[in-house]
Amino acid sequence: MSPRFRDMLLSIAVAVVLGLGASAALLLFLGRSPVTAYALLAASVIRDGYTFADIFVKATPLILTGLAFALTYKANLFNIGAQGQFYMGAIAATAASLVLGNRLPGPLSLVIVFVAAVAAGGLWGSFVGFVKAKFGANEFLVSMMSTYVALAAMNYLLRTALMETKHEYPQTNPFAPGLWLPIFLRGTRLHAGFILAVLIALLIWLLLFRTAFGYRIRVVGHNSDAARLAGIDSRGITVTTFFLAGALAATAGFTETNGVQHMLVQGFNPNIGAEGIGIAILANANPVGVIFASILIGALKVGGTIMGQTSGVPASIIEIMEGFVMIFVILSYFIRSGLEIRRSKKELRRAQAL
Amino acid sequence: MTDLLARALMMSTPLLFGSIAEVFAERSGVMVCAVEGIFLLGALGGFVGDYESHSLAVGIVLAVLVGAIYAAFYGWITVYLKQHQIVTGTAFNLLATGLSAFFMRAVFGVPVVPLTVEPLKALPVPLLSRTPVLGAILFNQNILTYSMYFIVPAAWFVLYRTSIGLTIRSTGENPEAAEVAGIRVERIRFSMVLLAGAMGGIAGAFYSIGYLGMFTTNIIGGRGWIAFAICFLGNWNPLGALAGTLIFGVAEAVAISMQSSGSLLLPNELFIALPYILTIALTILRRSFNVPGKLGIPYRKEN
Repeated sequence: MSPRFRDMLLSIAVAVVLGLGASAALLLFLGRSPVTAYALLAASVIRDGYTFADIFVKATPLILTGLAFALTYKANLFNIGAQGQFYMGAIAATAASLVLGNRLPGPLSLVIVFVAAVAAGGLWGSFVGFVKAKFGANEFLVSMMSTYVALAAMNYLLRTALMETKHEYPQTNPFAPGLWLPIFLRGTRLHAGFILAVLIALLIWLLLFRTAFGYRIRVVGHNSDAARLAGIDSRGITVTTFFLAGALAATAGFTETNGVQHMLVQGFNPNIGAEGIGIAILANANPVGVIFASILIGALKVGGTIMGQTSGVPASIIEIMEGFVMIFVILSYFIRSGLEIRRSKKELRRAQAL
Repeated sequence: MTDLLARALMMSTPLLFGSIAEVFAERSGVMVCAVEGIFLLGALGGFVGDYESHSLAVGIVLAVLVGAIYAAFYGWITVYLKQHQIVTGTAFNLLATGLSAFFMRAVFGVPVVPLTVEPLKALPVPLLSRTPVLGAILFNQNILTYSMYFIVPAAWFVLYRTSIGLTIRSTGENPEAAEVAGIRVERIRFSMVLLAGAMGGIAGAFYSIGYLGMFTTNIIGGRGWIAFAICFLGNWNPLGALAGTLIFGVAEAVAISMQSSGSLLLPNELFIALPYILTIALTILRRSFNVPGKLGIPYRKEN
């Protein structure tokens, strides 16, 4: 293990512990013992197979929105709009599922639904890349704003065209069971979407580190001047990475609607975009690392939810834990760059002594 | 029509506070990407202060304190530790979502009926408010909206006509040269982040105690980001920020009057999305940006 990699694992582990510690300290405001709360959190995630499997259910969309940020980050682009791309994917998957119903064989319909989600989210995302490439529009602002537009579109559709037949709640009718992503661990909610997300993460790793296209993405991200001199079309890279990022976030929308809820519910998973950014940072934007970071955050979400249901600790503790962990991970980047500088100075001195 | 314009002016107030503060911070070279979280905690702080003391002033003071303290942490990480501003901002915004719900619960428990305070009242200016048309628009507003009339010229004057303004601008344009001239780059930037926190706190409090008289966790709903965007669109100039906030104020006032009149000619959601669509359109159309030279880039001393 290289010292650099060791530093990274160690500092991230410390950051996670400190982040959880800071959140625990807040529980004192409610007059609750942090020790009991965390004991409960730890005990509840392993209390039965169903709950344990739920960690991976929660991790599934996080892997995908984490990748949606990590991929653009590698090209030094900022996709803050994964939340909206996620909603566009969910809307398209829902519309396709409701239209298809039982008409076609299940697996074929699922493929069509998946393609519809990817196309919708990909186009929504590539709009950001397009205006960046063509007009130099700030991708950070445009992607941020596009989320609120997607949210308004979802709210509109859920009270008109997509609203359930009873017209009571802002949600759709349930999908036909043939359109549910298959459960692969009986007695749990763990669906095929998790395997899909892991496979996609591995594919993104291959794309980034084993293909010429991925190499170009990284060159553009690392040094855009060098990329231009080397004749790399950075505009094309911008549009394509944003398409892929949108498609990734949209896939998360697909796995949530067809794998977990089997319908579209207003305003679901409202933090999935920000959580994805946190996960990408936790994983140092490495697609394989994103899988593990998502499982960690998934465990916090499952444990935090149960804690909220059983012990009266508010469920907002989940966002607090996520926020603090993220902030401490950012601080650990600072510590690590300090260590890195010290190490290279030491090497330099050793080389001079020779 | 005068009603609509009066409301537009009122709704542009918090956006102006937020965007002017952002102009100062970004002119010094830092983006305050925690703006949404600062607004949200300001809204909470203002509500708690007002509800507990029955005094608007206490609410505003608490909002300023909460905003500035939260911004201080953000400034420490981005200015002194030089970590990435967008990423750090995302973390702070996510944390603020949790903190606001958590402290609402910690302070008030689970109330049976929603807690409310008296929203800010309009204070008509004697005589001036009787002026036809303009009186109703300009001089029948609340105290925070009146303060806009002073903040804009004062901000412009400070930024372009004083040595403090020159210091701030040179810190953002050329920190190395500023350092040589004896300016403490990091200290200037950190102070501007604090200023943005204090003003963002007031902006947030406007929504809770100034306008709605209550607090909900989704009360800000992207308005912090709109203030952030207005700073870009207004070309990092207080006058540009004023123009931007007025446009967005009109959009918001139209949305509110459409919602309350219940006319269903166009979907309600379109009006809610209007400010965001407008921002996207303006970001795309906007040319020849006058971006501060070192915006978003941490300053590292050579050693």
